[in-house]
Amino acid sequence: MGQSWFDTLSRVLVPIAGKLNNNRYLKVLRDAFMLAFPLTIFGSVAVVLANLPFLDKVMSEGALNAFRSALGVAPQATMGIMSVFVVFGIGYYLSKNYDVEAIFGGAIALASFLMLTPFVLQPEGKEAVQNVIPLDRLGAKGMFLGMIVAFVAGEIYRFIVQKDITIKMPAGVPPAVSRSFSALIPAFFTLSVFLIINIVVTQVFRTNMHDVIYQAIQAPLVGLGSGIIPTLIAIFVTQILWFFGLHGQIIINSVMDPIWNTLSLENLNSYMDTGKVPHIISKQFMEIYTVGMGGTGMTLAVVMAMMFFMKSKQMKQVGKLAIGPGIFNVNEPVIFGLPIVMNPLILFPWIIAPMAVTLVTYVAMSTGLVPPPTGVAVPWTVPIFINGIMATNSLAGGFLQLVNFAIVLVIWFPFLKFIDRMNLQKEKEEGSGESTRTAS
Amino acid sequence: MKKILLACSSGMSTSLLVTKMQAYAKQMDEEAEIWAVGQDQAKKEMEKADVVLIGPQMSFLKSELQKEAQKYGIPVEVIDMVAYGLADGQKVYEQALKLMEERS
Repeated sequence: MGQSWFDTLSRVLVPIAGKLNNNRYLKVLRDAFMLAFPLTIFGSVAVVLANLPFLDKVMSEGALNAFRSALGVAPQATMGIMSVFVVFGIGYYLSKNYDVEAIFGGAIALASFLMLTPFVLQPEGKEAVQNVIPLDRLGAKGMFLGMIVAFVAGEIYRFIVQKDITIKMPAGVPPAVSRSFSALIPAFFTLSVFLIINIVVTQVFRTNMHDVIYQAIQAPLVGLGSGIIPTLIAIFVTQILWFFGLHGQIIINSVMDPIWNTLSLENLNSYMDTGKVPHIISKQFMEIYTVGMGGTGMTLAVVMAMMFFMKSKQMKQVGKLAIGPGIFNVNEPVIFGLPIVMNPLILFPWIIAPMAVTLVTYVAMSTGLVPPPTGVAVPWTVPIFINGIMATNSLAGGFLQLVNFAIVLVIWFPFLKFIDRMNLQKEKEEGSGESTRTAS
Repeated sequence: MKKILLACSSGMSTSLLVTKMQAYAKQMDEEAEIWAVGQDQAKKEMEKADVVLIGPQMSFLKSELQKEAQKYGIPVEVIDMVAYGLADGQKVYEQALKLMEERS
């Protein structure tokens, strides 16, 4: 009877998950952020090197400053202007998705975004500097405007192309030439739209689209996403989806990533300028302190408990199989092998443990016991403890994970023990020859 | 030559299963090409395959991949959950063989 209830719910969830996973815009957004990923890692390595803890002991102050400013350009040229890559990526992948010339889609999206960007820097109390683009407009601050503009520009561009309003060259003209001509009218039209928007906003309303979108959309959404309650809700939904055997992050992250990534960028900018980190919740908080402890649901503790403390063959086998991938935060073996999926005995620890740990982490970071992640990108496959130290640039960040590990262990243990005892019983019955197979 | 394509979110968790399946095929003295890809490549790689198996965590891909697979007339199925969890190469390999037989 419980089973049918599960079946019904999963019959509802599977198509929703499929729709979200296959949604054109979310897919494009996911790919666009992936475009910036290798660059982000490069910039992160430079930030880590510049902030190694022992440097001030081996270098003179002058040498250290020179070293830091030499490396400083690396994060600025990568994460510092992340919106540029995301905008280009959206324009490119959206056009590709519609099967129109993609590289022009990327270029047009980028130009449209710059069309709305004020080419002027206004330092406080000083005269404005003309003909410069403030770096933060191309980074964290321009992220949401960039995403919106890129999608709108991409849509207009492909619409015009698909309507076949293009200049066609006679046969015999080299394909590269005729392609650039065929993009001419769509580019003209798309860019004109954004030029007109910019004229209206700057001349009539005396402001700019960057400030409008930042204040009306980005600041409220990002503020909301940085709270602990929305974060716990995101974790809850992720756990529930995985409980039904669906890849929770693929679905939740495609919605939350713009917010979490923006928070990370703001953290990193502030960390590089002042050494302080303004937001606790960020992309790294989610990756290192929720996934980075053995995979979704922080299952490294679970796998180890199965290996060392459980007696049934089935649990030991799954534990042994899952430990290798688990160290690198891949945990499909335990999710489908224990199994966690559709297993009502596991539902409670599976959902409660990650939420409890997240709350503990949040409190530890907001009280200043442990510094929050700096915004440096650490790949999610880096093992526990090491990833915590790398993400926070402090040993405390690693030790917090060990505390979290213990919390997961304590919450899970009684449930594992209970299942272990049932398995032992079953194995004994099967072993005694008179197999009373229960068809479950 | 049997060509089996496995698809999951990024091709990472399925790669363990691939090694196990290859080991089993070798043990059976059968020539088989088995490889894993992420969901975005699955559609492209599919034309080279005889059968497509999806990791259970991506089961919602089935209908979309099936549409594409019809062009090549190959079957698409979700890997048995328990076999996937235990990385049971034999069981999944047999699942693939059975799907191929049913089709031909």
